[in-house]
Amino acid sequence: MDAQSTFDSVVKAIDTTALIGAPIQWLLGIAAVALAAAAILPPLRRWLGHILVATSALLLAGELVLVWFHWRIYESAVVVNPQTGQVTGHIAVPLWIESEKLYVWAVVVAVMALAMRRHRNELLPGVALLLAGLVAGATVWGRPFTEPLPSFFGQYGSYLTGMASGVPAMSMTAYEGMEGARQFFYNTWYMWVHPPLLFVSYGAFTVSFVATLQMVKSRYSAYETTAYRWARLGYTPLTAGMLLGFPWAILAWQGESWWWSGKVNMSIMMWLLYTAYLHARLYLRRRGMWRLVALVAILSFLVLLLTYLATYVIPGAHSYA
Amino acid sequence: MHEVEAMERSALRRNWDFGLALATVILLGSLGIQSFLGALYVWWAQRSNPAWEQLGYSDFVSRMNAIAAPQIVLLVVVMGLCVPKRLFSRKVLVAVSGAMLAVGLAVWLATASLATGLTVYLALAGLIQVAVVALTVAGTRAPSYITEGRLTKTGSGLLHLGFIVFGLVVVAMQDSAFMLPVFWTATVLMLGGTVLSFYADRFAVRHPVAKGGE
Repeated sequence: MDAQSTFDSVVKAIDTTALIGAPIQWLLGIAAVALAAAAILPPLRRWLGHILVATSALLLAGELVLVWFHWRIYESAVVVNPQTGQVTGHIAVPLWIESEKLYVWAVVVAVMALAMRRHRNELLPGVALLLAGLVAGATVWGRPFTEPLPSFFGQYGSYLTGMASGVPAMSMTAYEGMEGARQFFYNTWYMWVHPPLLFVSYGAFTVSFVATLQMVKSRYSAYETTAYRWARLGYTPLTAGMLLGFPWAILAWQGESWWWSGKVNMSIMMWLLYTAYLHARLYLRRRGMWRLVALVAILSFLVLLLTYLATYVIPGAHSYA
Repeated sequence: MHEVEAMERSALRRNWDFGLALATVILLGSLGIQSFLGALYVWWAQRSNPAWEQLGYSDFVSRMNAIAAPQIVLLVVVMGLCVPKRLFSRKVLVAVSGAMLAVGLAVWLATASLATGLTVYLALAGLIQVAVVALTVAGTRAPSYITEGRLTKTGSGLLHLGFIVFGLVVVAMQDSAFMLPVFWTATVLMLGGTVLSFYADRFAVRHPVAKGGE
């Protein structure tokens, strides 16, 4: 492997993505403002459906650009054993890490907003407002097209520098670090299953949260049913995603008390609260029970937001992703 | 007289169900609050002392484990108590629940190992739950549920069986060679049970009523 040609190839993929993606990023920023305005201001409400379709189309176009980008990275970014000169493998960077997390959440919510049929007129403004927040966060904070995957490129850049140094010890250290990350993080099956399941559940819980707020506001029981339907849609992938993390955590964090790490803690709390919500809901016909159910549902979603933010705030294995 | 007794029994069962569900919600909420406070503490400790992970993390883990242990034990006990309620009448229910607790307690005291006591307790609950699922699948009237429909009930039964098996993995099998296969069994039971209890109406086969009311 020639470190310089690999570097050039990776830089070319980054530049091309920025060239195509920067206008999409700008347009998404404008779409976020338009979505929020149409959700808040009643005179603009009739345009909400069209703006939602346009935003979703932009998000999906951007996602296609990101898929292409990841494919280019996969082709270019290889890891080579400096002792044998053999390529040990390509790096398959998952599509839902680092700067792309909020973007994926926004895509999921956009698709769900488009698929939403029941109570569309009543729930759409709330869902659109949250989607506007996600899109704004993805474009202003995440910037997946113009500043993609900073941790990965930092790590891979260090690896290439080590390999190009010509010092055997440095090359070996660089190789061991990168190969470990390739095998146990980027390319592991778990990273390709666990996060997308969680983002599907986050999307469904977002719609459920809006329906719960609508129920509290209007005291109309049909919204409670809608909130429950979206919550049960979110609960299954949430449970699956968290369960699938268990054997991986036991292997990857062998000997560590990983269950008390900040992010795991918050995730467990979120799952416990949604489980409590589904249990409490069985007794909805009891006098005043709907208040408790609504309270637990709202609390669960707030904890979901905190769980997401915990990745950035609390250092640990999850903050790497 | 019989009607009054039946109503009383039904009311008592509802109260027992509600009490167990409330206890589950309270315990889950309490563990959730502990997790939240723990996460806040980790955040604060790491900000105020960059070397905290090397110096204070193991103490933190021990303290968190000590606080969580009684709650998890109670949760396991409540989970076990949820099982016989499906099968037994009031008097038998009290006797079976009491016997399960007594056997678990006796094993704990005899072996001086809480984990072994919990394992035996969960194994007993698991056996009863297997019977509950079998009777539910067979369509007998014996198991009583809050939910309606055989598929929904089967889903609920499988889901709870999955939780019990997962409880066994956590309590007794973390270092066992059988940990992974048993874990995957629990995962399939939990996810299959969840999907079935949420979406039973989608899977149900509806038999058309023949003309003439047959």
